[in-house]
Amino acid sequence: MSDDYAKAIPIPGPESVPFWEGAKNHKLMIQKCSDCGHHWFPPSTVCTGCGSRNIEWVASSGKGKIFSFVVFHRLYHKGWDGEIPYAVAVIELEEGARMLSNVIGIPVEEVKCDMAVDVVFEDATDTLTLPKFKPV
Amino acid sequence: MIEPSTHLRDKYALVGAGHSRLGKVPGVSAQGLLEEAMHNALDDAGLTTQDVDGLICRGPDEIYTFHQVMGERLGIDASFSTTLTNGGASQVMGVALAAMAIDAGMASCVLVGYGRDNWSRVHANKENHMRGSGRPQQMYGMEFGPEFGYYGAIAAHGFGAQRHMHDYGTTREQFGAISVAFRNHALNNPDAVMKKPLTMEDYLAGRMIVEPFGLFDCSLQTDAAGAVVVTSTERAKDLRQKPVLIKGFGTGNNTSGWFNYNNMTHTGAIQSGKTAYAMAGLGPEDIDYAQIYDCFTYMVLVQLEDYGFCQKGEGGEFVASGALALDGAMPTNTSGGQLSEAHVEGMLQVVEGVRQLQGIYGPERQVPNAEIGLVSGHGGNTVCESTLILGAA
Ligand SMILES: [Zn+2]
Repeated sequence: MSDDYAKAIPIPGPESVPFWEGAKNHKLMIQKCSDCGHHWFPPSTVCTGCGSRNIEWVASSGKGKIFSFVVFHRLYHKGWDGEIPYAVAVIELEEGARMLSNVIGIPVEEVKCDMAVDVVFEDATDTLTLPKFKPV
Repeated sequence: MIEPSTHLRDKYALVGAGHSRLGKVPGVSAQGLLEEAMHNALDDAGLTTQDVDGLICRGPDEIYTFHQVMGERLGIDASFSTTLTNGGASQVMGVALAAMAIDAGMASCVLVGYGRDNWSRVHANKENHMRGSGRPQQMYGMEFGPEFGYYGAIAAHGFGAQRHMHDYGTTREQFGAISVAFRNHALNNPDAVMKKPLTMEDYLAGRMIVEPFGLFDCSLQTDAAGAVVVTSTERAKDLRQKPVLIKGFGTGNNTSGWFNYNNMTHTGAIQSGKTAYAMAGLGPEDIDYAQIYDCFTYMVLVQLEDYGFCQKGEGGEFVASGALALDGAMPTNTSGGQLSEAHVEGMLQVVEGVRQLQGIYGPERQVPNAEIGLVSGHGGNTVCESTLILGAA
């Protein structure tokens, strides 16, 4: 929420604007196929399940589980100084789509694969909100 | 379902192999190192640049049409040339593509090589050093990663390792067995960068980098290059070295993504291996040694499973059994690999794969009675795999 935000600011591609706009409104937006019902992430212009172009953006429930994770013990970017160790995870949403995020609100030693998590929205700056995940 | 062309089997051969200086080589570009390796490979074959009409190479990925840069520096007009962009899978794929190009009549004698100046780049400035990379961040994407503190190939491969540990009970000690085995090989390789013995205690005491990987799970930052020469087996008869036959090759690219399906525990090596075995008319039981792409320890373990040297999920037990030693069930990375010799994105795995069948080593490094070897390349954002099966002439 400040000007001194030191972490990397994502630069959205044209297809991912709805995701970042949704995050600002505390909604986790993913894509859904209107033909086969498949959900996926990151964004594209065709269904990754069946190839249909008949697709839409929908809000995920934000519930899911940790498919896998790593714990950073080394500093790769100055914005994370003081936050080592931190957990980065591949989250599998209950709709099936997988996305990268952080697991927060739990010591890194307790993070496990298949742990149930729920989305929380972190307002990083006035124009950037990051969806992160907390154990249920 | 694909059916690889078995008519290529044994028709093309590797007739020379070479590498440049390895390790910290300041003041030389990736191109300069690759020239060194390519000249060494040609010398090994008894050929010169005048004999070369094909050039397949890769260097720092941000250099536009790298093969043209190399052609100009070497003075080679090529009837077939290209730069590959499958990351660490490119180099093995380059050998396969050379055979295909010669078979299609596009070239007759192809130089394949890769060079990098990664140690120099990473140590060139603070920003590169902190990111542990000589490549610009833009090459990795500017969203869905860096904002979550996700940096480096180490984290991507770490996800796979973590999931494998969860699904199959694989342990860090088992990863450690890989580091220790390769270091033992490196101690018999005078060119290897790492010269000190490594014990399991040393491995476990290594500082954590990105868990589950510690220092000794990670390959080296290296300035180095490697190259090989590919021509027809017919022509190879008149050349200096005993030719090394290309018996089969394959590729398998899980381009739907590393995070997708179970790709991080069932890699492109499954498809790539299947194709290569089918082309060669061989199976895992026929392989005498393996040179496996080892950017991180886990990738060795999972590829050994995916090539069928042990069952899925049993890679941990397999590597801990001593299988990777020269007298083990599957002597692997006999030069020390990228973990202990030098990291040249799979190119030195090809070079070592060739040399084992040229039979040039003493007993401390030669795999006894080696007739068939498997070489793997892996990379391209963790999802691309290429495989070569080589045979003694
Ligand atoms: Zn669909």
